[in-house]
Amino acid sequence: MAASLLAALLPDGVGMHVWAIATAAMVAAGCGLVGTLLVVRRMSLVGDAISHAVLPGIVVAVLAGGRPGGPLVLAGAVAAALVTVWLTHLFRTEAGLAEDAGAGVAFTTLFALGVVMVTAAASRIDLDPACVLHGVLELVPFDTTPLVGVEVPRAFLTATGVFVGLAIAAAATWKLQVFTAFDPEAARAAGLPVAACTTALLAATALATVAGFEAVGAILVVALLVVPAATAELLTRRLHRIAVLAVLIGVAAAVAGYALAWRWNTSAAGMIAVVLGAGYLASVALSPDDGLVARGWNRGWFHWRVACEDRLAACWRAEESGADVTGPVAFSARLVDWLADRWLAASGRLARGPRGWALTPRGRQEADMVVRSHRLWESWLGRHADLPLDHLHPPAEWIEHHLGAEVRRRIEADVGGRGSDPHGRSIPPEP
Amino acid sequence: MTPCTSCWPGPIAAVGVGSSWAVSHNTLVVAGGVAAVGFAAGVIGCFGVLRKRALVGDAAAHATLVGVAGAFLLTGRRELGVLLAGGFVAALGAVAALVLLRRFSRTRDDAATAIVLSVSFGLGITLVSGITARGIPGGAGLEQFLLGHTAALTAADALLLAALSAGAVLTVWLGLKEATLVAFDPAFARATGWPVAFIDYVLVGLVAVMVVVGLPAAGAVLVTALVVIPPVAARQWTDRVPTMLVLSGLFGLAAGVFGVAVSAVVPRLATGPLVVLAAAFLFVCSLVAAPQRGWWSRRRRPAIDVVGPLHRREA
Repeated sequence: MAASLLAALLPDGVGMHVWAIATAAMVAAGCGLVGTLLVVRRMSLVGDAISHAVLPGIVVAVLAGGRPGGPLVLAGAVAAALVTVWLTHLFRTEAGLAEDAGAGVAFTTLFALGVVMVTAAASRIDLDPACVLHGVLELVPFDTTPLVGVEVPRAFLTATGVFVGLAIAAAATWKLQVFTAFDPEAARAAGLPVAACTTALLAATALATVAGFEAVGAILVVALLVVPAATAELLTRRLHRIAVLAVLIGVAAAVAGYALAWRWNTSAAGMIAVVLGAGYLASVALSPDDGLVARGWNRGWFHWRVACEDRLAACWRAEESGADVTGPVAFSARLVDWLADRWLAASGRLARGPRGWALTPRGRQEADMVVRSHRLWESWLGRHADLPLDHLHPPAEWIEHHLGAEVRRRIEADVGGRGSDPHGRSIPPEP
Repeated sequence: MTPCTSCWPGPIAAVGVGSSWAVSHNTLVVAGGVAAVGFAAGVIGCFGVLRKRALVGDAAAHATLVGVAGAFLLTGRRELGVLLAGGFVAALGAVAALVLLRRFSRTRDDAATAIVLSVSFGLGITLVSGITARGIPGGAGLEQFLLGHTAALTAADALLLAALSAGAVLTVWLGLKEATLVAFDPAFARATGWPVAFIDYVLVGLVAVMVVVGLPAAGAVLVTALVVIPPVAARQWTDRVPTMLVLSGLFGLAAGVFGVAVSAVVPRLATGPLVVLAAAFLFVCSLVAAPQRGWWSRRRRPAIDVVGPLHRREA
């Protein structure tokens, strides 16, 4: 209730913003929670379908005397959601439609029906087709109801009630949800109520959707359902962490989106979706495990290490085969190699010799291990793989960067510790 | 052409616009243009449905709003051609975003579709609201692209839409054999050396074209129905691709004409929902009445009819 205290203390105009932000945050929290289960169960498009299809349910409930956000409207929305999913199922069994085509038929039809009903009954109900699509978060604070002496926006109460209810339900059935999400077959075999769990998720989606409907509209509810969960899924892999993170991301985007929309004088709901999208792109790029930056960094770092090790090994072989090849001629003009030479020299592995680069003691130690890996692998291939001599080098050239001390020791034991490779050259010993 | 008031007594009486409606030349041309759009959308949509990519068009459709608003902001002009060109670029951008997310992120396809759809729509709403709030002249009508409003179209606009539709249908007609092959057996097509990826991109590009061309008729939110519902309705009647294409086109045409007609009589109603409801009505009829797969004929057949098809084939 921090929001209500704050709103009561602040001057009127600011209080309005606080209420709008609090409502958006509550909607986002409820959607983030439900969306987590939708995303991990690969039901994102069901969320999309339901968020469109609740419209006729809401309109019928309002025409029947329900108040927006009241129990009758919530029930109407849940009924419409279940009808959508039932229709999709019916289209699949009766008409052989693929699931996406079936959902595409069902939700566009129900949404079209809802829009026509809204337009036809415009004089009797307080809904506008455009608001149905993108909501009017800015108007939420003007429709209030008294609660212990404070005027509280009705939409905020609905959203809070839905979020608290969903959070309690999710916490109470968490193990069942996890089991059903990741292995529905095993859950069914264990006698768990999987079908009831799915139906409950659909109903929860409808509730979260209808709570957000007037604030952010049908289509941006999809953003609140799917984007926070998909973003969180890129950042962590444990389901409860995804859920908590999705709620936090949704709330943060609601606050930031509202502030930016106010700053630039545009639709708050649209801006919240844009902020969510930006956050998602940022995690695609920056996710610690498999973000583009992390993957690019790892790949780049690996290539750099390979380049350095190859330069050390080239020097080592040049020194082994005699002084003539040690000259600058043997060193290619590739930029990466040129940089690797500079780095190796700066870090004390190479030094300028009389005829080009020469290994320092430290560089020789590291080059020993690269060449040792290379030649041990050639020996192993020669013994086990039945390859001609001139086919041994390329695989060894690749694997020399991956072998550790323990593996080298084992290979050496396997090939009999002869001390020379199939080409007859000596294998440097382990230090 | 005299107004046929006896055909539509209900809506006219209900909203009281009986006084001043006459079927003008403009309305007829617009109806013809939307009919062409409906036909082309039905034809092109068949391949999306057969290829099991019904909702790629939905993501592209929601993204068109960004392009429409962006084209208006950049050029400051409101001609339909300019706005639709922007919408087309945005639709292609959405498809590209889907392809890139599939390639570069861990997000699954369904979530990626929902993300592209909702975020691009949010961006579109942000732009349109910003334009409206600043009172930029001419920007007020952009909201019509949400749900479609053919009443605002001119004859020239309708001709443009019809020409684009004709181009799309012509492309499919020229590449019918290739498109059919890729839709039913992409693995065989690849093995026999057809450029499957290229054909796929052309088909997706055509869906993007149709989604954009369908915008004035059905709006960004519902235009996907134009490329999904007529094909699945037509699929109930036939197993042959050419028949399905023509039938689907005719369903789309009928739905488009119905939407324009009712919306002309009752200007308050956006065209999009009407077109979708008409298409859905045709789909339900197909579901019930189609000769082989329909509910009615299946009810009259014994449950397991193994021998029947064999006899029919020999006959």
